[in-house]
Amino acid sequence: MNYEDLIPADEICVRYKVERQFVSSLYESGIIQIVRIKETEYIPNDHLADFERMMRLHRELDINLAGLEAVNHLLKKIDQLNEDNMRLRNRLGLYE
Amino acid sequence: MEFIDYYKLLELDRTATKADIKKAYRRLARKYHPDLNPNDKQAQTRFQQINEAHEVLSDPEKRKKYDEYGKDWQHADQFEQARKQQSAAGGFGGGFGDGGQSYSYSGNFDDDTFSDFFEQMFGGRARSRGAHRGAHFKGQDFNAELQLKLSEVYESKKHTLTVNGKNIRLTIPAGVENGQTIKIKGHGGPGMQGGPKGDLYITFRILNDTTFRREKENLYSTVAISLSTAALGGEIEVSTFDAKAKLKVKPGTQNGTKVKLKGKGFPRYKKEGQFGDLFVTYTVKVPENLTGRQRELFEELKKTGI
Repeated sequence: MNYEDLIPADEICVRYKVERQFVSSLYESGIIQIVRIKETEYIPNDHLADFERMMRLHRELDINLAGLEAVNHLLKKIDQLNEDNMRLRNRLGLYE
Repeated sequence: MEFIDYYKLLELDRTATKADIKKAYRRLARKYHPDLNPNDKQAQTRFQQINEAHEVLSDPEKRKKYDEYGKDWQHADQFEQARKQQSAAGGFGGGFGDGGQSYSYSGNFDDDTFSDFFEQMFGGRARSRGAHRGAHFKGQDFNAELQLKLSEVYESKKHTLTVNGKNIRLTIPAGVENGQTIKIKGHGGPGMQGGPKGDLYITFRILNDTTFRREKENLYSTVAISLSTAALGGEIEVSTFDAKAKLKVKPGTQNGTKVKLKGKGFPRYKKEGQFGDLFVTYTVKVPENLTGRQRELFEELKKTGI
């Protein structure tokens, strides 16, 4: 993974005004990934959208960590179902 | 411009307390929040309406004005005028420096997220007291649909798109699929209170303008072969997506036989130089109008038991 694909976790905390613990909790719940390079922790760029989504849900809807885990799980499931749906539609097109 | 019943939107009656409003907002926001309803425009609109209702009803000053003048919003200006005159006469500094609007504001919100009704009653810059306006927020993500022909996505190509009046040049990788969505970072709406811009999501609609059928990176086609070629074998020429290929037909080939042309399919998405396979199905053509000589020969064959 390139350095330009990583954002220091501390910088994210400052920018989004969140506590470091929140980032760690999301990592421990498996919602985001953290990469450690020489004592510094980074969040990969492609996990930023997941982080932002969870932050909004936590702040705007007061959803606690357990709730975020459940929401994340269900959203991933929706994504998977949408993908399956798209694949099946494309396959169906073969016989139409 | 229509009157918006904010109480109805939050499913409350007019005697609702601040706690009732907060509770109703939370309940509905959890139902319609855009992050919980991806790609659902109706939910997004409903969420904006709920937000607006909450913005007004959770602020005592705005709620008072709304309760008093809500249905007769046209008189709100007169109300403002009277207020200004009153404060000028009473000597309270008045105004926060925006054409006489009497409300403070902060932030850089997208004006489209509030209704005309709201703008008329409270002004476009009257939004400072929402429950969650303190932090930097990423701007709104935009969704767009792009229609391309199958032949156009066989190779990676540069396209220029116009999104919200801005031209975006992007390379669409070969092998993109129908219904697939890609993210273009930073081409969404402006961020809130200095937050980063949103992203642009492009969903592809791929129209098949070829005789091939496609499933992911594999292509399928049907080729007719003569009865004699099927029986005796031979060499035929078939079309691949971008060229022609010679194929050896085995003697005794049956109708519906499928052959695989390795690597002659569609490009694999984001795997430069890698291709799927082309599956050719043979259909054996049975001759319909035989000449006299052909008929004779078939009669001869018939005697042999074929």
